[in-house]
Amino acid sequence: MSTGIYSIGVSGLAAAQLGLLATEHNVVNANTPGYTRQRTVQATNIAINTGAGALGQGVHVQTIERMYDRYLTAQVNSAQTTLSGIESYYTQIKQIDNLLADPSAGLTPALQDFFSGVQQVASNPSLLSARESMISSSTTLVNRFQSISLRLDEMAEEVNGKIQDAVTSVNSYASQIADLNQRIIISEGTYGQPANDLLDQRDQLINDLNKLIKVTTSTNSNGSFNVFIGTGQQLVIGNQAMIMTASASSADPGKIAVGLQTAAGGSMELPENLVTGGELGGLLSFRSQTLERATNELGRIAASVALTFNAQHALGMDLQGNANGSAGFNADYFNVANFTPTVSANTHNSGNLLVTSQLIDPPPFGTELNDGNFYTNLTTSDYRLVFNGGTSYTLTRLSDNTNFALTATPPGTLTQASEGISITLGTGAATAGDSYLIQPTQNAAKNISLNPVIAADARAIAAAVPFRTSATATNLGTGAISAGKTVPGFSTDPGFNVANLASNITVTFSGTPAAGTLSFAGLPATAQIIVKLPGQPESTTAAVPPIAYQQGMTVSVAGMSFTFTGQPVANDTFTLARNTAATADGRNALALGQLQTKNTMSGAKATFQGAYAEMVASNGIKTRELKVTGEAQQAVLDQAQASRDALSGVNLDEEAANMIRFQQAYQASAKLLEVGKTLFDTVLQLG
Amino acid sequence: MRISTSQIFDSGARGIGRNQVDLFKLQNQLSTGRKVLTPEDDPIASAQALVLTQSKSVSAQFLKNQSDAQGKLGLVEAKVASVGDLLQSVRERLVQAGSTTLTNSDRSYIKEELEARFSELMGIANAQDGEGNYMFSGYQGAVRPFSAIATGASYQGDDGQRFLQVAASRQMATNVTGNDLFESIRNGNGSFVTSAVTTGTGAPVNTGSGVIDQGSVTDPALISTAMATYPGGVQIQFSVVGGVTSYQLFDNPAGTTAYTAPQTFTPGQSIKLERTTAPASDFGASVVIEGSPANGDTFTIKPSTNQSMFASLRNAINTLTTGIGGSYTSTEYSNRLAESLGDIDQALENVNKIRSTVGSNLKELDSLTNADEDLQLQYSSSISSLQDLDYAQAITEMSKKQLQLEAAQLSFKQVSQLSLFNIL
Repeated sequence: MSTGIYSIGVSGLAAAQLGLLATEHNVVNANTPGYTRQRTVQATNIAINTGAGALGQGVHVQTIERMYDRYLTAQVNSAQTTLSGIESYYTQIKQIDNLLADPSAGLTPALQDFFSGVQQVASNPSLLSARESMISSSTTLVNRFQSISLRLDEMAEEVNGKIQDAVTSVNSYASQIADLNQRIIISEGTYGQPANDLLDQRDQLINDLNKLIKVTTSTNSNGSFNVFIGTGQQLVIGNQAMIMTASASSADPGKIAVGLQTAAGGSMELPENLVTGGELGGLLSFRSQTLERATNELGRIAASVALTFNAQHALGMDLQGNANGSAGFNADYFNVANFTPTVSANTHNSGNLLVTSQLIDPPPFGTELNDGNFYTNLTTSDYRLVFNGGTSYTLTRLSDNTNFALTATPPGTLTQASEGISITLGTGAATAGDSYLIQPTQNAAKNISLNPVIAADARAIAAAVPFRTSATATNLGTGAISAGKTVPGFSTDPGFNVANLASNITVTFSGTPAAGTLSFAGLPATAQIIVKLPGQPESTTAAVPPIAYQQGMTVSVAGMSFTFTGQPVANDTFTLARNTAATADGRNALALGQLQTKNTMSGAKATFQGAYAEMVASNGIKTRELKVTGEAQQAVLDQAQASRDALSGVNLDEEAANMIRFQQAYQASAKLLEVGKTLFDTVLQLG
Repeated sequence: MRISTSQIFDSGARGIGRNQVDLFKLQNQLSTGRKVLTPEDDPIASAQALVLTQSKSVSAQFLKNQSDAQGKLGLVEAKVASVGDLLQSVRERLVQAGSTTLTNSDRSYIKEELEARFSELMGIANAQDGEGNYMFSGYQGAVRPFSAIATGASYQGDDGQRFLQVAASRQMATNVTGNDLFESIRNGNGSFVTSAVTTGTGAPVNTGSGVIDQGSVTDPALISTAMATYPGGVQIQFSVVGGVTSYQLFDNPAGTTAYTAPQTFTPGQSIKLERTTAPASDFGASVVIEGSPANGDTFTIKPSTNQSMFASLRNAINTLTTGIGGSYTSTEYSNRLAESLGDIDQALENVNKIRSTVGSNLKELDSLTNADEDLQLQYSSSISSLQDLDYAQAITEMSKKQLQLEAAQLSFKQVSQLSLFNIL
């Protein structure tokens, strides 16, 4: 027992002291984010073999270990990145949800007031006050479209800004991780012991990075991490950090796209589907799945209101008797000059073909003689036009990637009636593979406005129908003619024009009741007669020969449609005349009012209000879905965090116990020294 | 199982936070009275509510249009009724004028009265509504529809009907055109006009005392076809041979193609209108001729044409002005008066027809209004059930959440105070 009693005691003192230091480190870092509790790993010193057996030589601390499980940490990171994505999406969509929900600020009240205004004019076409009130409610509607659209545009700007901020943070984290990698390599290489606190810091940075974008990691043999985004795009390799970029998208300069900087200093755009999870993933999903759709849907409603209203308005006659063909007639109620779809040439295009696009005129319901109202085929989607070479173009509806094959030679026009747009190929030439982004409705809600002439003079509202019918007073038969309405021009039929009715058109019945015919005098030379017998399809004939009479038949000439009932006798006549001085005629205003309840959108399948309700519902459903999945994901994260904390978190009670434990160990070891001293003194006293 | 100190704090704070969020939302619901604060709370309900709100506002618009239509039609109804009253009194005067005991000066008093009625009728026809629009001018609201001329009145309006949308698929005319009310009146009995050949200077005039009635229709379809087939009508020619009066039907106006064989005439007998020569056809109507027609007397039956109420009234006034003994014989006077009476009867019938159309439109408006008022209630209650808060439930929920929050706070306080360091 030469020096053993001291050395064993001292080794005990040292071990207990390290134990106490580790405990203290745990206690003070109990609230440090990402901190992993540490503990000393003690082992016995190598024993000395003696005749009496192996003699223990005390204790030493092998290492200070982190109570760490990388799988638990990975679970936390993965749960975190999903939750951050959902949360950032939710934060954004909630704004739209609130915007649409407001009963006084949404589109609904403005749309209803607008049509009430139309109905007032229909009831009192001669009252200027009713007309002014219609102008005023129209202005409210236009302003409402613009203000909602403006708010959505602000959100788009906000998303662009947030993407740039997030990319800046990602770059900062990436370079810090690269830096920590370097320090860990040095620390662990020098001492051969784990660099616990540096590892914790790096793990915390990975966790922070996951809040911004989903990343995966792999560990190198020297202890450094590689960090990847998307499907393996490198962000950090050992001590090298790549630079992420946020710049205008090549397809659509209005939005900021995320990319990685190339060695040459340029930027390689990352496809949006590679950027998932985290705030960036949430923002990109919000933009593509919700914001752009909402903007387009609002624009689609605005464009449909304006186009269908204009088409019907153009068939009317204003209070001063002007109709289509009169110099002072204002066919458009809404100003559609600014409704041109946005076309963006891809910045990678090598050709220089100038492409523009137009919204096509809305088709009338059913056939020409049916209701005079109109509908649009516009969708909420954006489109991509790709030149395939020769005369071949492919138009892709981006919402579901449906392709339409179109052919034309520039300068020419591609028309896709089922989507409500046409595309004009202008000057220049395209190279195969050139692509153009077409956004038909994106700016419609922003650009809608009233025709300034009508806004300034309510008399210009075309509430009346430009012609009237009458049966001659001396008619002997019971034949009657309906009030009639204007219908859009059809094929070679010239449509209504005041020039076509410069003098009255007289319809004369001849023959017997059983085999009677109608002949028309005063028709324009190019006019066709379109006839629809009850329960049968329309047929078109040239104007000149008389047509067979049948009760209930509807006839359209030169854009004027009317129905005959009853039985005329020979030489009975009916007259179509210009509807002069028709201040009390509100027929066209009635037709305009009917647009409110007709299925005027989505190819005659939805009303304006229905389309808006669908937009509110789909936003609400998505918001709700995000809220619910967000709550579920929060639970997943809590669970993962709890599992990690259960292993790695500091429990102060436990540390208190450990403190006592190591204190007592220290005291015991000190006591050993005291015993050794006493023994030594005893031996000295003997001598 | 091991637990870290931060877990105790985190989960405590989270629990309190969650309860606070719930309470905040409940408080918002209670203060607004709405169950659905944003579409997120119930997307389907909010979309339904939007659609229902539109339906409700459309239905409210219809209600407003119905009340507009009711106002306008009510005014029309009143005017049409006064036209009816006026015609009724004209008719009474005409019946009175037919009395053989009257002198020409008596007739001139009646004539004066009819002149006054004529002006009154003109006033009604040119009536304006509350907005200053002429009521009976069709589309041309600012155009005065009627002005008096020598033969009655001329119409400057049109056939325009002022429609209002009173239901989703119902547009109702809220006006009656001057043409319909005053102008397009079938003269005679509505199917045909009977007359003794009395008109025109230099034309052969009946010399007998035969007076023809307005005729009666037994089969409307047959007479309608017959009048369309023979737009010139038929004439009944009388011949007296050896004291025997017989009649025969001919074409009109030529009177050369015989439609029937001659038949013996008895005064007051019913003469069937028909054609027995090829192509034979039954006209589905008959006339009665009273008195004794002379040889060569002719009566015509022509398809009805439209005759203005003003023209009928003017004709009657002219007949009264001329009176008996002027250029009219007593027979001619009677025939003319009978024709006028027939015309006024037709006018009355036309007024009654229009009154009943207006009346049934008003009735329809009533039932539409009832239906739409019910719908309003229905929509309101549907929207309410989609959006509105059940207060009892919400307040119960509020107390529950309050309790939970208090429990969470209290338990957190207790647990967080437990620390070994306090004891050591």
